Amino acid sequence: MVQRFSAGETKDAMHQVVTEMYDKIIKGEPPTMTLPVRTKNNIGFDQKLGVYKYGKKKSVRDATSLGSAKQLLRALYVIEFIEEMIDAGKSSTLREMYYISESWGLGKFGSQNESNNLAEDLEIVTKCLREDFKLRPEEDGARMIGNLTLRERNRRGEWMRINARDDVGDSGYGVPYNVEAEKIELLENDIDFIMAIETGGMFDRLIENGFDEDFRCGLLHLKGQPARSTRRIIKRMSEEWDLPVVVFLDGDPWSFRIFASIAYGAIKTAHISEYLATPSATYLGITADDIVAYDLPSDDLSKKDIEALNAELSDPRFADSWWQDQINMMLELGKKAEQQSLAKYGLDFVTETYLPEKLAELGLA
Amino acid sequence: MAGIAQKLASNQKQVAISEFFEKNKHFLGFDSLSRSLITAVKEAVDNALDACEEARILPEIKVEIKKLDSKKDIVQLKVEDNGPGIPQKSIEKVFGQLLFGSRFHAIRQSRGQQGIGITGVVMYSQLTTGKPTHVRSKIATESTAAVVDIGLDTRKNKAVKSNQGREGWFLQDGSMKHHGLEVTTQLKAKYQKGRQSVWQYLRMTSIVNPHAEITFTDPEGEVHHWPRVTERLPRKVDSIKPHPHGIELGQLQRMLSESKDSRLSVFLRMNFSGVSNRAAKELCAAAELEVSTKPKQMKPDDVRALLEAFQGERMFNGKPVKMLNPPTNCLSPIEEMLIKKGLSKTIDSRFVTTITRAPNVSQGNPYQVEVGLIFGGSMASDKPVEVLRFANRVPLMYQQGGCLLTKAIESVDWRQYGLEQPGAKGVPKGPAAILVHLASTNVQFTSEAKEALAENEEVIEEARKAMLEMGRGLRKHLEKKKKMAKTQEKFELINDILPAIAAKSAEILDKPIPDLAGSITQIMSAVISETNTTWNKETKQTDVEITLYNYTSRSRAYTILATWPEKEGAKMLGNETGGRKEAMGVWAWKLETLQPGQKYVIKYSLDGLEKGDWVDTDVFYRGSQEVIGAMKMDEKYLEEIRNQEQILKEMSKQNDELGESTEEEENRTQHTDTPEIDLDEIIASLGEPKVKPPNGQSTLFGGGQ
Repeated sequence: MVQRFSAGETKDAMHQVVTEMYDKIIKGEPPTMTLPVRTKNNIGFDQKLGVYKYGKKKSVRDATSLGSAKQLLRALYVIEFIEEMIDAGKSSTLREMYYISESWGLGKFGSQNESNNLAEDLEIVTKCLREDFKLRPEEDGARMIGNLTLRERNRRGEWMRINARDDVGDSGYGVPYNVEAEKIELLENDIDFIMAIETGGMFDRLIENGFDEDFRCGLLHLKGQPARSTRRIIKRMSEEWDLPVVVFLDGDPWSFRIFASIAYGAIKTAHISEYLATPSATYLGITADDIVAYDLPSDDLSKKDIEALNAELSDPRFADSWWQDQINMMLELGKKAEQQSLAKYGLDFVTETYLPEKLAELGLA
Repeated sequence: MAGIAQKLASNQKQVAISEFFEKNKHFLGFDSLSRSLITAVKEAVDNALDACEEARILPEIKVEIKKLDSKKDIVQLKVEDNGPGIPQKSIEKVFGQLLFGSRFHAIRQSRGQQGIGITGVVMYSQLTTGKPTHVRSKIATESTAAVVDIGLDTRKNKAVKSNQGREGWFLQDGSMKHHGLEVTTQLKAKYQKGRQSVWQYLRMTSIVNPHAEITFTDPEGEVHHWPRVTERLPRKVDSIKPHPHGIELGQLQRMLSESKDSRLSVFLRMNFSGVSNRAAKELCAAAELEVSTKPKQMKPDDVRALLEAFQGERMFNGKPVKMLNPPTNCLSPIEEMLIKKGLSKTIDSRFVTTITRAPNVSQGNPYQVEVGLIFGGSMASDKPVEVLRFANRVPLMYQQGGCLLTKAIESVDWRQYGLEQPGAKGVPKGPAAILVHLASTNVQFTSEAKEALAENEEVIEEARKAMLEMGRGLRKHLEKKKKMAKTQEKFELINDILPAIAAKSAEILDKPIPDLAGSITQIMSAVISETNTTWNKETKQTDVEITLYNYTSRSRAYTILATWPEKEGAKMLGNETGGRKEAMGVWAWKLETLQPGQKYVIKYSLDGLEKGDWVDTDVFYRGSQEVIGAMKMDEKYLEEIRNQEQILKEMSKQNDELGESTEEEENRTQHTDTPEIDLDEIIASLGEPKVKPPNGQSTLFGGGQ
């Protein structure tokens, strides 16, 4: 479990980063900031945690080039800004921080991407979470429907009890950006598994067909590449309620990556994989075999798709034989298929035939 | 010449002028409706520029084109200048007679080599519209302007005057025009836009005539203005006598038959350049002719023998007779700095380089090549570079592919200089324009259309050398730009970012701000130079400051070299750090020791320049450790500068030696000038082949006949 820091501990961790720079100058050297290399070449499987984490490769960002020097200066401004927020009991979104940097002169960010990356850099170096930094993402959390009950502390600081089947409308329960214990408490459930779904269209199809009730499951809409809070709540439900998680995505190289980020940990957030990843999650479909077995309407792989698949072949997260077979098969087929291509056989085919067959293989139906 | 022609003429029937025009319009530049308009503008503007140059007046030229009848393609062209004007009695000769004027015979560089003259325009106007050309002329010594309508008697090749009179010539502000000429003519023509247009012709003219102020009002009423960027007029050029290497049989025969000299040796010495007393005697001996032979009475075989001696086929003592090169003061190059200004005012860009090669001689004809390159700015980077060709300051706008000047550009592998050029063939691509100017007393064209220069290996090689030098300049510029960006970044890093990191980290940790010296040395670990070249408004001088910083942990020694416009007549003032001259236009300072953390400043001012003349100083170094912001001295580059300097020195020595006889000769040419030539002779000359061998003169109406 990732350790959470108090305000004082967070400040101390950040001061260590500042001290590294300051001491280098005192020694008559260029200031530096040391952090792990953040590419697929530096992630490895952590046996103890069961997820992929950054390896030992470190990179030293030093102030010998203008770009790196500016990064260091920005880091100092961000640290100062976070300290101020901690002291004032405030928080801000990453986007707000990006605009606030307008007044930082030479430490100003060039793009929102830069400020997001720097926040992640600081998380990695200090081992704090951005929640400790009082920084919020802009990204949308997922929505959920199913017979499960939780407590959420609302804006007025009161705990609200919500059942994600009876107390919500058709759009389901919206997962907030912060799903930590101080904000959300998981109470009880009467379901057998959780199904995470890539597209809104498929999510709505399953709800309309009453799939959650028929198959006693919680449905969760990922909204594409899932946000941190979405991955975190899947992890919590899986662990705290001891529920299996199945993931139902399109059948293309990008869906494989979505699954990897849910089950094994994303490259960008490998420093907190054990906090976000759900190693027990299973890829339900659409697999490369499904395209053939169900004779699904498909599209040709684009040049980018092929590049992505080839990159995945050398990604340590896809190193097992099942994934290697799936990836190679898709490359051979030269085809990809969407979840909704199942509609070829009628609107009920997915809930009456495809999913029951797939779940039966896993012993869930 | 006139003698033979008149004999011929009397035997020939009078040919209708319209027939002459119709038959030869492609030679005369009137073959299409759009080209006719360019040709008309060209004749009028060339005349104006030549007249101003001779009278040493800074030209102000206004060109206006109006559509009178769109259906019938009738336009009105008005060209006004501030030249000396033409005396009333000469107007009809200038406008109503083909080839009036002395430049037809003089051997020197002139624009007029290339056209039929303004009379052609009057003719074309009359043939296509039936209207006369209106002329208004004011000379300084008269209080009013002469006005007259000039038409042509197409049977007699004579001017027909009408509506002659005098009037006050008032300017817009109500004052009286001091002197100038205005020509208004109507013609069948089409105004077009683009690469081959009146606009492009005037734009190019303005580039090579930076001393001229040109205003153009197009048919849509839009006003285009090319301002004057220098007060310096082109050098006044002298006429020279023909050189034996550049003469043809027919021309030699004519000269001999018209000669009043009694001895061949005297004739040779007095009528040719480069022929000394000794050379004259040796030429006679080589041709096996007596020095006392009377030129007028020489037989055809003797003439041929003499020509063979000229060409070195008949020798003296087993060797060709040695002659001096012709003097080169008959050429008027635009010169590097003015090309730079001309290019910069017309094309928006980041970088300009120009090279004027030393004058040279090919087949007895002095010539000089000038090139310019302008790069960057708003020019398109995916298109072929714009090629700007000029012969004796006249833009060449057609037949680009077949021109020697284009071939010289194509002969260079531009890829190594930072331009694209697939397969190192053809005109390169990139955000650039390349200018090539050939100044010569005898410009040879591929055809009578006079738009492409004929192949000549020596000239191509000279142009190629100039391009290579320019290419190196471009590469240096691009490298320098890259290095400067790098240096700028480093300075921003140590001057702004690093102090900010130190201050902020100290603030967060609540500790004192640390000293940065050690970090700076480690970060830079280099010697860096910064150069500023700025115009000082108060002193009217160009101030140059070169600063060298040693950001390494060891002491360093260098020689620093800087370019400065010595050739252009600038003076170096206030150079307290001394140094010495390394070569023409290159100054050097020796720096024995530059301690770690130390800086060294070289300061001086350049006097005798105008604003914008010198905006960028190239700084070089000799020494083992790289200097960021300066270039390592390329010793080959220095050598080339010294070579060119040597050639110039020798040339001027020669010109001095020949100076005396040149003057004498000038008086003589004026005597033998025949100012009037009639149509029949021209028709006769048109019968000759259109493309002549390279050493033949293929200019139709100009040059050194």
